[in-house]
Amino acid sequence: MAEPATKGPAYTTILVRIAELRAWLFLIVLIVFFETWARLAYDVSFVLNTYNLQSISVFATAPLLLALGQTFVIISAGIDLSLGFVMGLASVIAAHTANYVQAVLGLPPFLSMMCGILAGIAITFFPGLVNGWLIAYLRVPPFIGTLGMYGVARGSAYLFAGGMTISINNDWYSAIGNDRFFGVPLLVILTAIACIIMHYYLSQTRFGQHTYAMGASQAAARRAGINVKNLTMKIYLLSALMAGVAGALYTGRFTAGAPQAGEPLLLDSIAAVVIGGASLFGGSGNIWGTIAGSLVIAVIQYGLVFINVEPFWQFIAVGAVIIISVLVDQTQRRFLGGRQVE
Amino acid sequence: MDRRSLMKIVGAASAAAGLGMLPGKASAAEKVTIALVPGLTADGFYVTMHRGAEAAAKAVGADLVYQGASEWNVSLQVPVLEAVIARRPAAILIAPTDKTQLVQPLKKANDAGIPIVCVDTFIGNGIFQTGSGEADFPISYVASDNVLGGRMAARALAKALDGKGKVYVSNTKPNVSTTDQREEGFKAEMKNFSGIQVLETQFNDDDANKAAAQVQAVIGRVPDLAGVFGANLFSAGGTANGVKQAGKAGKIKLAGFDAPESIVAQLKDGTFELTIAQHPAEIGYFGFMAAYAQVTGNPVPTAIGTGFTVMTAANIDDPKVARYLYKSS
Repeated sequence: MAEPATKGPAYTTILVRIAELRAWLFLIVLIVFFETWARLAYDVSFVLNTYNLQSISVFATAPLLLALGQTFVIISAGIDLSLGFVMGLASVIAAHTANYVQAVLGLPPFLSMMCGILAGIAITFFPGLVNGWLIAYLRVPPFIGTLGMYGVARGSAYLFAGGMTISINNDWYSAIGNDRFFGVPLLVILTAIACIIMHYYLSQTRFGQHTYAMGASQAAARRAGINVKNLTMKIYLLSALMAGVAGALYTGRFTAGAPQAGEPLLLDSIAAVVIGGASLFGGSGNIWGTIAGSLVIAVIQYGLVFINVEPFWQFIAVGAVIIISVLVDQTQRRFLGGRQVE
Repeated sequence: MDRRSLMKIVGAASAAAGLGMLPGKASAAEKVTIALVPGLTADGFYVTMHRGAEAAAKAVGADLVYQGASEWNVSLQVPVLEAVIARRPAAILIAPTDKTQLVQPLKKANDAGIPIVCVDTFIGNGIFQTGSGEADFPISYVASDNVLGGRMAARALAKALDGKGKVYVSNTKPNVSTTDQREEGFKAEMKNFSGIQVLETQFNDDDANKAAAQVQAVIGRVPDLAGVFGANLFSAGGTANGVKQAGKAGKIKLAGFDAPESIVAQLKDGTFELTIAQHPAEIGYFGFMAAYAQVTGNPVPTAIGTGFTVMTAANIDDPKVARYLYKSS
């Protein structure tokens, strides 16, 4: 499946390689732009600045964790709209569990934190499996099925939280979300590990290759002997689990579980996957692209504040970048005659 | 603060008006049912308001129906309102999600003989029973003055900064009446402090992650940033995290708005210098009493203002201050 690039004429091969790096090139263009502006206007460096790098990388972790699972879903020609509130649900459950285990069962803070994180991630099995079941077995379109789960997860999160945010008082848990290891925020290290694992799954395993196959043509994948139903279940479960990780980490970072923690991140996560080169029609995309996509969004939003652009222009700029990125993608696809980048 | 005690008297008067009717009403065959429609249900502020209204309902032996939409949105609130009207409550307390779009739906209820009390937010210009305009029909407006809340935040923050330094407002979304008013009040009051410079407002879409990144970016550009006013819960919480990540905790003074229980620890450990607590339970209580007074034929003030409390590490252990924390139970 990953063959087409090597079979075409040489210039197409090069173009495909460039297209693959499109999101990274775009990221570099943005960084150069902000660097120039920051130097001219404020005489400071934008990128050669540990502080900015730390800030931007932490900023990118939350949408990126959601986007990792979403990458699998989008490659399989689906979409998962429930992720934002699945993340919120996980965040609330993690906070409640950590509090309960520490206060009622009297376990030490470190164990309470571990219980909280595991419970937060475990609760996402429910929305993940239900999403997969609806889509694989009951043939509910992903858009509708996960939109329904968006409501269910949202309501459950608010019910568990009683409409409030659930604060935690656990130094270990707070450290996971806020401490640094040799200058690198722990959140960034954990997210990087998640990226490597997801990249491995997508590019090196049968599961990943089947995901591409199913996204390109579900019928063909089924005829080729792939258990499409089982695969769909796994993909939506994986996506929910990643949202669970994002939610559990959110609780540590903001020392509180919030039902609406992931709501504003959902669209950013989809945008990150698309900017990263995945097609909403399925069959293409990769984890490196998604990482670049998340960084693009983080750099724009951080950079515009850094160079002091008026707030309303920030909305326009972010929207414009998403449109430009997709336009570039479309043009490139037409130019390469439907050759897909994997 | 002195304003608050004045409001207490006004409130107590309206409460007494309601209570005065109790004996006559208790013997009546039918219980009075009053509905409360919040701006959204999933919010500590309205949860606490609900609790206040419930206390009032219990005090006079009336029933309270609480129904709202999950999001701050006109097209979600109106169907809920219509369903509530269909049940024919004796009166409706509502936090309208839009100044103009809610006028007609509420007028329908009013024409059907259901009196309306606006709580927290308002329709028209918020001045009722004047006999002029399309939107003066609600009998009363019960709320805290958000411009004043913003001013109080500015005064308290300026004091903490000894009247000098650069500050900015971290706000949720543009064009939300209450948060806009807080920002307006904050900026207006800061004009009285010549040493304070107010920088561009940053909008975070109620995303704590974004609010955190924004304050880090501002610190990157303005290393001598002295303070931030977080105009609502997520703005304040996200900003606090960004300041911590930037290693500036305690050096940059934060003023928050609203008072969930988690604020206690954050005031004590210096994350927040202060927070402005509204009194949502008071709004619910006196809103209910205003409606009850109207239903039972008693006079009602057309506006009831509830107050604010400035919470700091120094006063948060005082039960008189701590009782204004937002609690779900």
